[in-house]
Amino acid sequence: MSRPGSAPFLRRTFDGDRLLAAVCLGVPALGLVVFFLYPMVIVFLRSITLGDGSYGLANYAEVLSTRGFWRATRHSMVMGLSTAAISVLLGFVIAHGLHRCAFRGKALIRAAIVLPLLAPSLVQALGLIFLLGRNGLVNRLFGTDLDIYGFWGLLIANTLYALPQAVMIIGAALALSDARTYEAAEVLGASPWRQFRDITLPAARFGILNAAFVTFIITITDFGNAAVIGGDYSVLATEIYSQVIGQMNFNLGAVVGIMLLLPTVVAYVIERQASKRQEGRGGSAAVPFVPTPSAVRDLPMGALSFLLAAAIALVIGIVVYASFVRLWPYRFDLTFRHYAITLAGGYSSLWTTIYVSLIAATGGTVLVFLLGLGLRRAPAAVARPIQMIAVMPAAVPGMVLGLAYILTFNSTATPLHLLYGTAALIAAVNFYHYHTQAFLTVMTGFRQLPVALEEAAGSLGAGLGRIATGVIAPFLAPMLISAFFFLFMRSMVTLSAVVFLTTPKLTVASVTIMRLDDAGLTSQAAAFSTVVMLVVALALGSMKLLMRRLGRAAHGAGAG
Amino acid sequence: MKKWIRSTAAALVSLGLAGMASAGSITVYTALEEEEIADYIAAANKAMPDIEINVLRLSTGKLGARLLAEAANPQADVIWGWAVTAMMDPRILEMLEPYQAKGSEVLPAAFRDPEGRWFAPTGYMGAFCVNTERLRQKNLPMPKSWKDLEDPAFKGEVLMPDPNSSGTGYLHVVALLQTLGEKEGWAQLRRIDPNIAQYTSSGSKPCKAARAGEYTVGISLAFTALKSIEAGYPLAMVFPEGGVGYELEASGLMKSSDNKADAKRFLDWTMSPEAVALYGKFKALVTVPGVKPSAAAVKAGLPADVGTVLAKIDFAESARRQREIKKKWKELFGR
Repeated sequence: MSRPGSAPFLRRTFDGDRLLAAVCLGVPALGLVVFFLYPMVIVFLRSITLGDGSYGLANYAEVLSTRGFWRATRHSMVMGLSTAAISVLLGFVIAHGLHRCAFRGKALIRAAIVLPLLAPSLVQALGLIFLLGRNGLVNRLFGTDLDIYGFWGLLIANTLYALPQAVMIIGAALALSDARTYEAAEVLGASPWRQFRDITLPAARFGILNAAFVTFIITITDFGNAAVIGGDYSVLATEIYSQVIGQMNFNLGAVVGIMLLLPTVVAYVIERQASKRQEGRGGSAAVPFVPTPSAVRDLPMGALSFLLAAAIALVIGIVVYASFVRLWPYRFDLTFRHYAITLAGGYSSLWTTIYVSLIAATGGTVLVFLLGLGLRRAPAAVARPIQMIAVMPAAVPGMVLGLAYILTFNSTATPLHLLYGTAALIAAVNFYHYHTQAFLTVMTGFRQLPVALEEAAGSLGAGLGRIATGVIAPFLAPMLISAFFFLFMRSMVTLSAVVFLTTPKLTVASVTIMRLDDAGLTSQAAAFSTVVMLVVALALGSMKLLMRRLGRAAHGAGAG
Repeated sequence: MKKWIRSTAAALVSLGLAGMASAGSITVYTALEEEEIADYIAAANKAMPDIEINVLRLSTGKLGARLLAEAANPQADVIWGWAVTAMMDPRILEMLEPYQAKGSEVLPAAFRDPEGRWFAPTGYMGAFCVNTERLRQKNLPMPKSWKDLEDPAFKGEVLMPDPNSSGTGYLHVVALLQTLGEKEGWAQLRRIDPNIAQYTSSGSKPCKAARAGEYTVGISLAFTALKSIEAGYPLAMVFPEGGVGYELEASGLMKSSDNKADAKRFLDWTMSPEAVALYGKFKALVTVPGVKPSAAAVKAGLPADVGTVLAKIDFAESARRQREIKKKWKELFGR
């Protein structure tokens, strides 16, 4: 990634810049090693630890010899590929609609599309069952006999969860584009279809491939949807659950956890090969693209986007409604009584969760930004392995990551055990669990960063620090903001890893929701989820407001 | 600048110490139900105001995973009310210190460890959850036994937890194998297999799905059935003829505890007359001689003497043969 053109200025500010670049790369890389690689090495060691404490491959032999494992593998692959295909296609439609079409009400689509990210997993599962279940609204209204449990239900649920992440990553690729390229094409007489095929699609390729990669791996590692709506469609994540939770056999679960990394590595290598050719495409002074109205393009794109947004809103909305209903689906009179929650710690966990999520989102965004910056300056031999590790975390099921954190941070062998039972560790697990998505979103932005922009600033004597804060950060602002919001939303509601790290004194909202549901109080769990969603929405709204105000202030100061 | 560093350091330290225990406090891991925990702890706090009792509640399986993962540096002082089949895992027994809690001597021998590592004053039972509304709509007969579930009319209408993922699933399988005998037990499971719509990973899910009208019969837990009936769902709780499976809720002292004095006081309290009286309020199954079931339980269909509906279970055998039985089940019925 080194560029000979920038050598003279690099030499001038040699020491400071080199050091800064090393720190940029070193700090996030160290974080990845301590909070991801090291725990995963421990998982690997457990996967080769035999019953008598010796090491060997017998666990692998045992898992690979079962019929159930291969069936689950086949199911996981089919499910992962189908979900990736559908969510990338639909995700592109929505991202394209939002960034490249001219129609009203985009804010509504934006709001609906993030709902699955800020909804606790219980909400999505309940919503689908309330709507499409055997005793769901659709069957009752139309007298049909739909049965969603199994492949189709799981596909819908997984797509709902994957879609917003596909939109986020593809959106990062479509948000930054140079209007002048399109103007030139227009002048040369290229049809809108030609422009789409030859300018838009190639520019978005890195985003599309990344989105396909992410949606594939989050689907094969997700347990929640499979358990609730997958019926008998066994997948690898359910195999892990059955070993680890059902049979208290972490070592065999670890085998499956390690095996899940394989398709991820393969998918990533393919993705890297396919996206090799795109680098720094943007011009040095890109003029932001503003779509002009075009009925042929905008009407179908807008209609489809609205349809998808409405479907998502319906799934979440029905659970919010049900939280006010006396006894779903038998007594529909409205009541607030499910909101009087006293069990499972009541509402007290909410504030801890907000605090933890803010740490995870702020720290995470800074680290991911530094990592992207450091990778740009690092030689390929260093950058490649780090990049590989940076995209791995999504391939680890939350349950495996949570237990790996116990094994790592509860061992008195290292000073790391001081972190065990702290809010800091919960923030860390939340960030590293979702590291892949945040990293790829920001990297998609970095990919489009015009090389000339950086070089111009460098030749004017700006050091790396100035370039990073004055040039790169503003250019990447949309991606950094969406990574921040993504990390914040997921931290507020993620359960699978955190459930193993909460303590009697430190618990989070998602665990309270699980405990309420465990206690049979599904309506209270829905009510608590509604409060969580409301709090997240309010937090997002006020942060957006604050950012707009800060942006305006900074702009004003700059002008003055 | 210095002040800034000092306050940051202080914040980091307080962050780091947040989870640490102080003298006079104990950490208790439990799989008991939320509602009863709240009542028991309120009473225990009154009885022992000088001890701070910190409770971590997780489901049986998650608690097991956590206990084993923490084995290198255990965090709990006491395990309180956890499935005895899980407790009898050699890796768990190894973590426990023999302690004869005051009052536990009244328990029949079957309900405590001969070496004194655990005792079980309470338990929970399995049950069929039957949605009466869906039963009527589909014109199905009320099932009274496992045999009744063989009826092809129930095809796709029955949910059962997978014993490989759920302790509840295992409890039902063991009850069949131990009451009907090995051969007939497996045959019974094989005959209902075609009617099972899904083998779920959670033990309470079959009951929750049945109460929501998604399926007619959920092979599940009496506790979930009772709570659902109380909440007003059109649900009937059925104990299959021939004996229903059950599980004991065992407690024990962790060897690693650094506050054993208070941990022992807490365990003594769980066998105190005050605590036992509370069991009568919440539990369907109390092994302390002379405790009557609660009024709510009787109203929901529990017999005055639950002993009459329980299967005869040999827990030592059930724990010992766990791996083998689960493996065989998976070969026969794994989907």
